[in-house]
Amino acid sequence: MNPPPTVFQRRIVIGAVICVAAFLLVGMRLVDVTVFTPNVRQIRSGDRPILSRADIVDRNGELIARNLPADDLYARPELFKDKIRAAHELAVATGVEEERLTQLFAGKHNYVLVARQLPPDVRTKVRLLNLPGLEYQADSKRYYPDGRLAAQVVGVTDGDDKGVSGLELGLNRQLRDKPMGAADQVQTSLDMRVQFILAHEAKASLDEFHAHAAGGLVMNVRTGEILAFVSLPDFDPNTRNFGDGNSSRDIMAQNLYELGSVFKIFTFAMALQDHTIHLGEEFPIGNGLKIGRYTIHEAERMPATLTVQDILADSSNIGAAQIAMRSGAVRQRAFLTTLGLLSPIHTELPENASPLYPSNWGTIETATIGFGHGISVTPLAFAAAAASVVNGGRRITPTFLKHPSDARGEQVISPETSATMRGLLRYVVTNGTGKKADVPGYDVGGKTGSAEVVGPNGRYMSGKLVTSFCGVFPVDDPRYLVFVVMDRPHGTKATDGFALAGYTAVPLAGQVISRIAPLLGVPMTPVTVAKENS
Amino acid sequence: MIRVLNFCCVAAMGLTILALYHISEQTRIARVQLSQVEHRIADARTKTSVLQTEWVQVANPARIQQLAEASLGMSDTATLQLSSLELLPRRGDAPLGGAQMHDANAQVPASAPAQFVKIAAHTGM
Repeated sequence: MNPPPTVFQRRIVIGAVICVAAFLLVGMRLVDVTVFTPNVRQIRSGDRPILSRADIVDRNGELIARNLPADDLYARPELFKDKIRAAHELAVATGVEEERLTQLFAGKHNYVLVARQLPPDVRTKVRLLNLPGLEYQADSKRYYPDGRLAAQVVGVTDGDDKGVSGLELGLNRQLRDKPMGAADQVQTSLDMRVQFILAHEAKASLDEFHAHAAGGLVMNVRTGEILAFVSLPDFDPNTRNFGDGNSSRDIMAQNLYELGSVFKIFTFAMALQDHTIHLGEEFPIGNGLKIGRYTIHEAERMPATLTVQDILADSSNIGAAQIAMRSGAVRQRAFLTTLGLLSPIHTELPENASPLYPSNWGTIETATIGFGHGISVTPLAFAAAAASVVNGGRRITPTFLKHPSDARGEQVISPETSATMRGLLRYVVTNGTGKKADVPGYDVGGKTGSAEVVGPNGRYMSGKLVTSFCGVFPVDDPRYLVFVVMDRPHGTKATDGFALAGYTAVPLAGQVISRIAPLLGVPMTPVTVAKENS
Repeated sequence: MIRVLNFCCVAAMGLTILALYHISEQTRIARVQLSQVEHRIADARTKTSVLQTEWVQVANPARIQQLAEASLGMSDTATLQLSSLELLPRRGDAPLGGAQMHDANAQVPASAPAQFVKIAAHTGM
């Protein structure tokens, strides 16, 4: 008979049992974790949050630009059973050249890039192929759902998500390194409804008059907010194809134009402010104004004398030159400086151009600048200065960010001069060259401008015009300014071959105002049948 | 007696270790699951943002206009606005009986041919 186990033997057995139990527990847990528990660490690559640029939205919260997941697709060719078939299927799904994929898959590389920045719908197509050996590298792509509509003003980003033009560049700091979410957006002053109308009408005019370029803007004269900013030709920011009729040049912010008669707004504002003229005063027009060895002529036949109102309404160069010369070169230069026309305008838009004006500002320069020749400014700078004239005489700086409060600054002309100027601009539309912009019920005031384009040799090109119209409405208490420019329009049969602003830019502005005024809730002046018939 | 007490203490310690391990493991799993849910939320947000973008694209005014012209035969026309709401008399102010009613009239030039379209809305309905 075996002797009973000693105390030590019993303890050893107990210890061994405990150890076995412990190992069993660990083993069971291992089986549980590896076999029965799903792999909780597995996270699909598509589930990661996208950290990228903030959205750009318009003043009503409408989306303008957003980063969307657009992963890069890579392949491990050795895992394909049939490389040629895989190349064909991937080429069909992604739009990549089949020949290139076939060569890549037949090569020695273990890991090849199939396509970059696949949009979600293409990625879904690729997934449905159920091909092995495909991997995605998380990436995102800036997407512009409205396409060309605001391409010039919004701009684009590069492959590293940095802004390279337009507001994408100008607002780069505010837009970068923000996680995607409802609150992470930059709200611009643009109103995409107004932007569409302006772009649509500008395109129609561009095509009708076979113009070299066309553009326009709509600006709130009290807040300085730009509601629409169009420059044609434009480009598709999603494909970024700049060939064949596309252009990335923003004519409204980058091009310098001698705008012609529309500049008379400033000549008259200066003269009224200085009390060098009074309404009703008559000026001799004649057949030409001789200044030194130069003679200033009219673009059209004019009466022997014109009142101050009719000089503006009929756009007399000789009359405007005489009015400008009453103030003199020093005063004219100082006045245009006060309006900000002799220095580059600074907005959120990085595209800019410094104005061109004579270094030797003498009598002849004063006369020609009086009717808008001899000085070149960007349309945006002109619009800002014109807004300062009509908004009660206070300087306003344009902005592309939503800023609904009054932003008018220092007084540049008196409120009385501003009111008189508004009356004169209304007179131009009712009795002068701007009749086609007289939208019933909205009391539009404005001024036309037609200037010959300076050619490569520095001489004016006959028959090549830049036409423009600057309109404000409602003229008694202006809220919005519309400025449209057409670069080298051609006359049509409907205009009897004329390409002057009254035939090209004015109808364009009228169409735009008639469509945007109800949208913007501009109060309408009741229009009676009797008034219309008269 | 002291042996039983020791055994009980060791057993209690073992059970506590097991319980703590279990809780720790549950916590780890919960943390991973939370992370998964957060990623799913982010994924859903991304999908929502894609859908929002697609909606903006399909509701683009240019596309709507193109469809309206192509499918419905609609065309651009001059904007007609009879009057602003503020200018219209309220229901209580409307004339009664055979009293003459006011007209809110507007005339705008039609697109083509150059005619005038007369719009008259009788107020006080």
